[in-house]
Amino acid sequence: MVESIPLTWEEVARVYGRKIYNFAYRLTGNADDAHDLVQEVLLRVRRGLANYQPGSFEGWLWRITRNAFLDEIRKRKRRPTTPLPDEIDRWDAATSDPADVEYARITLGDDIQKALLELPIEFREAVVLCDVVGLSYEEIAQAASVPIGTVRSRIHRGRKMMRELLT
Amino acid sequence: MTHPSELISAYLDGELIGDETSELLSHLGTCGRCSADLEEMQSVRTAVRSLPVLELPAGLVPEADAVVVPIHRNRGVWVGAAAAVVALVIAIASIVTPPPASISVDDLSSRFGARASLDPAFSPAKVVVPVLGEPSE
Repeated sequence: MVESIPLTWEEVARVYGRKIYNFAYRLTGNADDAHDLVQEVLLRVRRGLANYQPGSFEGWLWRITRNAFLDEIRKRKRRPTTPLPDEIDRWDAATSDPADVEYARITLGDDIQKALLELPIEFREAVVLCDVVGLSYEEIAQAASVPIGTVRSRIHRGRKMMRELLT
Repeated sequence: MTHPSELISAYLDGELIGDETSELLSHLGTCGRCSADLEEMQSVRTAVRSLPVLELPAGLVPEADAVVVPIHRNRGVWVGAAAAVVALVIAIASIVTPPPASISVDDLSSRFGARASLDPAFSPAKVVVPVLGEPSE
């Protein structure tokens, strides 16, 4: 099967931008960092497309995305941890009354987001790529440059940790 | 008893291979602990998958478009200086040059490139985004 490959970075942004943003948000836990990460990823895509070799585009794209995230983590290692922001509250506040905002805060995944942020990065990344982005184990393995067995283990252990955190 | 616990998540994700599925299902039939694990993993998986899908913040992609990407990052200082000179020349030229009498298709493509990138219905044509430091043609 011939893979359809986006030819321009604008097309990559249009087709994958929202997925990359959701991946970034669930990994970082805040909108500002997710915003910065998406920009960094798109810049890397723009630079990298010139030398892109036909293959698994998704694997290539998500490898770029995770590497951008890991690079940012390394850069910020000595900075203090930013607490989880109340982005959901802020977004909802414009259109909802306080009771709805509180309901949304509880039901729209704030506790799940917090639990995700408690996971070690390798587990968090695997769970998010699987359950948020919707990649297969093989695609996750390509993105993370690890065997599929490692992906399987990371996803299961990540979910087990989340179960402990959510109970 | 050996508990094939790592098969549980892979089973939920449809990622088991070979006879792993029958092996797991056979085990689940006799192991209450793994059956409970299956239910709990299912609930966690469903919870993460039910997280709201966030829309891209407005302007995120056009902002990325506006950023100048150095072609050779190790020459960043020189590229930056060259970019500043080019920008100055363009600014001066835009002051002393009268506006064009008509607008060409290329002008429209350039002006509305950002919108075209966000709105596939806007234009089927490829949008060429000039990158400072690269040949324009």
